[in-house]
Amino acid sequence: MTGCGWACISGCDGPQSALAAAGRDAERIAELFWWMGAGALLVWGAVMLSAVYAARSEKEHDPKLASRFIVGGGVVFPTVVLTALLSFGLAMMPDLLAPGAASAPRIRVSGERWWWRVTYDVDGRPVELANELRLPVGERAGLTLVSPDVIHAFWVPSLAGKVDMIPGRENRMALEPTRIGLYRGACAEFCGGAHAMMAFHVEVLERPAFDVWLAEQARPAAPPEGARATEGARVFDVHGCGACHAVRGTHADGTVGPDLTHVGGRHRIAGVLPNDVEGFRRFVRDPAAVKPHAEMPAYATLSDDELDALAHYLDGLR
Amino acid sequence: MIDDTQGPEEETESLWWLTVAPAAWVAHLLASYATVAVWCAKVTDRDGALGDARWMVAAYTAVALALIGWVAVHGFRRHRFGEGVRPHELDTPGDRHRFLGFATFLLAGVSAVATVYVSLVVVFIGSCQ
Amino acid sequence: MKTAKGDVEPLEEPFSEALQEAQKQRLRAAWKTPTGWRYWSAVNNTEVGVWYTATAFGFFLFGGLLALVMRVQLAVPDNTLLDANTYDQFFTLHGSVMMFLFAVPVFEAFSIMVLPEMLGARDLPFPRLSSYGFWCYLIGGVFVCGSLFFGQAPMGGWFMYPPLTTQYTEGYGVDIWLLGLSFIEVASIAAAVELIVGVLKCRPPGMRINLIPLYSWYILVVAAMILFAFPPLIAGDILLEVERAFDWPFFDPERGGDPLLWQHLFWIFGHPEVYIVFLPSIALVAMIVPTFAKTPMVGYGWVVLAAVGTGFLSFGLWIHHMFTTGLPGVSLALFSAASEAIAIPTGVQLFCFIATLLVGRVKMKVPMLFVLGGFSTFIIGGLTGVMVALVPFDLQAHDSYFVVGHLHSVLIGGTIFPIIGAAYYFFPLIGGKHLSEKLGRLSFWLMFVGFNVTFVPMHLTGLLGMPRRVFTYPEELGLGALNMASTVGAFILGLGVLVFVIDVFRPKKNQPYAKRNPWGAGTLEWLAPMPDEAWGVRSIPEIDSRYPLWDQPNFVRDVDEGRFYLPDAEEGLRETLVTSPVDAQPIQCLRVAGPTWLAMIAAIFTGGLFIFSTFHMYTPALISGALAFVTVVRWLWTGTAVIPEKKEKHVGLGLTLPLYRSGPKSVGWWGMLIMMLGDMTAFLALIFGYFFYWTADTDFVTADTPALDTLWPAVGAAAIVGSWLATYAAKRLNRRTAAGFYGAIAVALGLGALGSWALLRAPGALDPTAHVYPAMVWLLFGWSALHAIVGVIMQLYCLARRIARRMDGEHDIDIVNVTLYWHFVLVTVVITTAVLLGFPRLL
Repeated sequence: MTGCGWACISGCDGPQSALAAAGRDAERIAELFWWMGAGALLVWGAVMLSAVYAARSEKEHDPKLASRFIVGGGVVFPTVVLTALLSFGLAMMPDLLAPGAASAPRIRVSGERWWWRVTYDVDGRPVELANELRLPVGERAGLTLVSPDVIHAFWVPSLAGKVDMIPGRENRMALEPTRIGLYRGACAEFCGGAHAMMAFHVEVLERPAFDVWLAEQARPAAPPEGARATEGARVFDVHGCGACHAVRGTHADGTVGPDLTHVGGRHRIAGVLPNDVEGFRRFVRDPAAVKPHAEMPAYATLSDDELDALAHYLDGLR
Repeated sequence: MIDDTQGPEEETESLWWLTVAPAAWVAHLLASYATVAVWCAKVTDRDGALGDARWMVAAYTAVALALIGWVAVHGFRRHRFGEGVRPHELDTPGDRHRFLGFATFLLAGVSAVATVYVSLVVVFIGSCQ
Repeated sequence: MKTAKGDVEPLEEPFSEALQEAQKQRLRAAWKTPTGWRYWSAVNNTEVGVWYTATAFGFFLFGGLLALVMRVQLAVPDNTLLDANTYDQFFTLHGSVMMFLFAVPVFEAFSIMVLPEMLGARDLPFPRLSSYGFWCYLIGGVFVCGSLFFGQAPMGGWFMYPPLTTQYTEGYGVDIWLLGLSFIEVASIAAAVELIVGVLKCRPPGMRINLIPLYSWYILVVAAMILFAFPPLIAGDILLEVERAFDWPFFDPERGGDPLLWQHLFWIFGHPEVYIVFLPSIALVAMIVPTFAKTPMVGYGWVVLAAVGTGFLSFGLWIHHMFTTGLPGVSLALFSAASEAIAIPTGVQLFCFIATLLVGRVKMKVPMLFVLGGFSTFIIGGLTGVMVALVPFDLQAHDSYFVVGHLHSVLIGGTIFPIIGAAYYFFPLIGGKHLSEKLGRLSFWLMFVGFNVTFVPMHLTGLLGMPRRVFTYPEELGLGALNMASTVGAFILGLGVLVFVIDVFRPKKNQPYAKRNPWGAGTLEWLAPMPDEAWGVRSIPEIDSRYPLWDQPNFVRDVDEGRFYLPDAEEGLRETLVTSPVDAQPIQCLRVAGPTWLAMIAAIFTGGLFIFSTFHMYTPALISGALAFVTVVRWLWTGTAVIPEKKEKHVGLGLTLPLYRSGPKSVGWWGMLIMMLGDMTAFLALIFGYFFYWTADTDFVTADTPALDTLWPAVGAAAIVGSWLATYAAKRLNRRTAAGFYGAIAVALGLGALGSWALLRAPGALDPTAHVYPAMVWLLFGWSALHAIVGVIMQLYCLARRIARRMDGEHDIDIVNVTLYWHFVLVTVVITTAVLLGFPRLL
């Protein structure tokens, strides 16, 4: 039985569902879950039936029989079942903990309050983006997980389990997607403030499409097109956005916040808002209204016109 | 009714017997954990093999199981002391002695199973990944 | 036939009616509960137990209300009822309150109330300690909960992971959590000491270890678990608070610290904690089931196995809370194996209960309903527990709503249902009246349905991708319907609790008293007349059976007519029997304390120490601490190791017992030993931290690390060894001559003071804020020095006692217990010095 077969049971779908598995690890874990769940249901039913029978029955049973019941039900049965289950679980572990393949992409993900800094290694050169990963289907990509501030956890339920990002440590995991599609990920370790909004997306592509995308990401930003966008680039510059954000190809080279070189081409803004002009307007005007306690200050001083221009510029960075 | 008042004196009895087998389990777990943690941090790295650490855990297991087995035999003998049978609920030194033996024996049993469980780990896992 | 020959039989002939009346008068006078405002100075287990239980229940309701507000917030996606910080405060307090202010205290409270009755004792051995614990708990609990109303509540989760709770949280919330709850943890340990000594030393004569009620087996195990589980948390609290207050970088990776150490220390506490909460409730079930099945518990030995086995195994599971931290798979697997193993003893006790129900013919009253409902719920939690204990599955389930569903199944099924069932069962013992069978059934069904509607869907919610501790979730996840179900269920559950509360508080004036032993139980607590008398038990019986009320002929009559031990209080003092741990042979007639304000005053000042420290107001904190110290010394001086007016006392049935005992036969010696085992555990947790840094972090000690000077540590250790020897000599010499004692104690004092001073100097010029290595050096020497200083104060105390003739060659409890304390000081100082000087330098 494949994990996919299990996962297609209706009601288990969803962009962030561990049961709608689209990665090798998630498939195996989902399969394990269905077996264990079914077994658990049987055990629960059997024990409760005997408990209710014992409480309701008018018959006084022989204590000898009751002793045998304790030994059989309380000792022998669980020991046998648990030995099998434990062995099965242990045997699964080496595969789940195996690192990424040498030929697959290597990605460094840093969980930062409350966004994801994603760095691809393109021919030894780091290429940075944010709140989004893309992966080639069928390859086991290796991830290095770090955090500069508090503990976060990287979790894309449809692809694999989660691993914490702990300041001062480098953790690693691997994602091996088996189906093309868009999957949502979230921070699973409570990290204060906008923990609930610390989302990101993973798009799984065929290898050629992935290569094209990565090559695009590695390129500097295209110059703004049209008057609105050009005006927006000026606003970006004048208001010092470049102190925190980088737009490769311009002199904006800040590293505090997300790299914006291709921000317009991402699935979401900040991992949560729809990626369009309105989304940028909303976010820049008051980031904390979207992500509580976000580090980026609100730009309430921008006029509506400036904000609109800026949004057009950002939207055009594809 | 059995004359059962001639059990061992209270002074020779100890509640600590109950704790020997589970304590052996705890020691086994902690020794195994310390061994693999130090092995993976200091002897090799995250992609290294467990190598000899597996044999060390196997050796701890042998020692722990031997100790637990000895406690189990000791407990079982006390459980069978004299002529009393379970549930060991008489107000006599003999039944108190048998009861403590029985409980010791059972605890040795669960400790043995738990020790074997812990040792299964090095059967299935051979690296520090 | 359950009696054996050679046993002590009750008096053949009763005392005269007049004498019986006089005895009762004297007992009543001795055990009289103070009235008016002095009522609050009571220390007797019946009063303190009731206050303690009621307070714990109050905190439970508070925690429940927080949960309901949270459920409203989560009812629909993108809800804005609570903002992120407020929600964070709510869930942090919900978890902290339920764990620290309800689940642990309620078992201690209930045990303080009922354990003496179950053991036919008049009171627990240290009533003022219980009372002190209660007041600490009340003050600390109100302080922690009250912070919510000032928007200052902790919001780092009940697990308080750094560095979120160090550099990244401002305000006092974390400090309130750390200091407020540490204060309560100390109270919990005090109660644990009380309960261990209670079970081992205050049983009725003849209640051999194979006859004790199962409840007391569980309490013994759980109290021992508290003793070894709480200290690592206290050690962690110290590290975290010292980092927050003084910037010693224990968890700051920039300076060699490691956030994972906190997780280890927290979960070394946190997993046993689950069983600390769960086992006492199972203990309640073990009392309820035989009563309603009308048959002795089947598999008593198996239940003891389960209790002791679970207690041990629960200490080997902590890393299963850390399966996603990136530790090597083999480390995770070891703890996964242990986590699976614990299912075996847990299952055994369940089968023992079902077997008992099989053997007997069961009366389905409200308590039994809650027991069966608890089984159903708890088994769900147990089975999902087996699932999450497997590393592969936990990688998905961890920190998701699946775990929320799992843990609430365990805690509500394993704890709340049995507790409410027990409330229905034991309620007549408190006021002599029954709760309503009708309301009870209604409450049960509401709670049962509510529970399942709330928590069963959560397993799916989690697997569909909902992480824990989120204040809201987006619509696109498709989790709206499941969450709405959980919210509706939570309110049904809440309604069930409300019905129970109404049942407890509805006026019962016109309701007749319950009949004596209303359920027909077999254990001693049901000797209580309705309504009860303050003396606990009319005369302390000789026990021949696990269920004396069922098996011993004329038992109630013999107890009531004073035909057993201590039927009188000739000197007007509160007295109870101390017995030997295995066979419960009487060895002492113990006088326990009556009403006093000292315990409450000491708790208030101790509270001041912690609360002022929270706000960095160190001067008032120190003054408060000093006042607490003075109060405690006064309490010890006037109320402990009192030399009795006569050596021995006739306690009835031809038995004469000493009134004063020291050493292992005394309760105080056991109290000291047990307390110090807890202290030693905290110390070992710190030593674990030292080795942890060495394994986990390559830069703990490097070639650049400033070397530790050998001189002062060596002087300190040598002086402490000397002081220990001299203290030991003082104990021995005290029995021969006063001069010998004075000489030895003078040497001990001198060397102790020198040792303390040298240990304080030992870290030398190392800067504790620079790196975690010097911080650990400071901390360990500081810990050692503090213990040495306390040891010196104790030596001074003994000196003063001898001078004041409150201690002499024969009555030497003080110096014997202080010597015991010094054994622990010796071990602490020797380990500290050896580790810091020898490791990793000599490696």
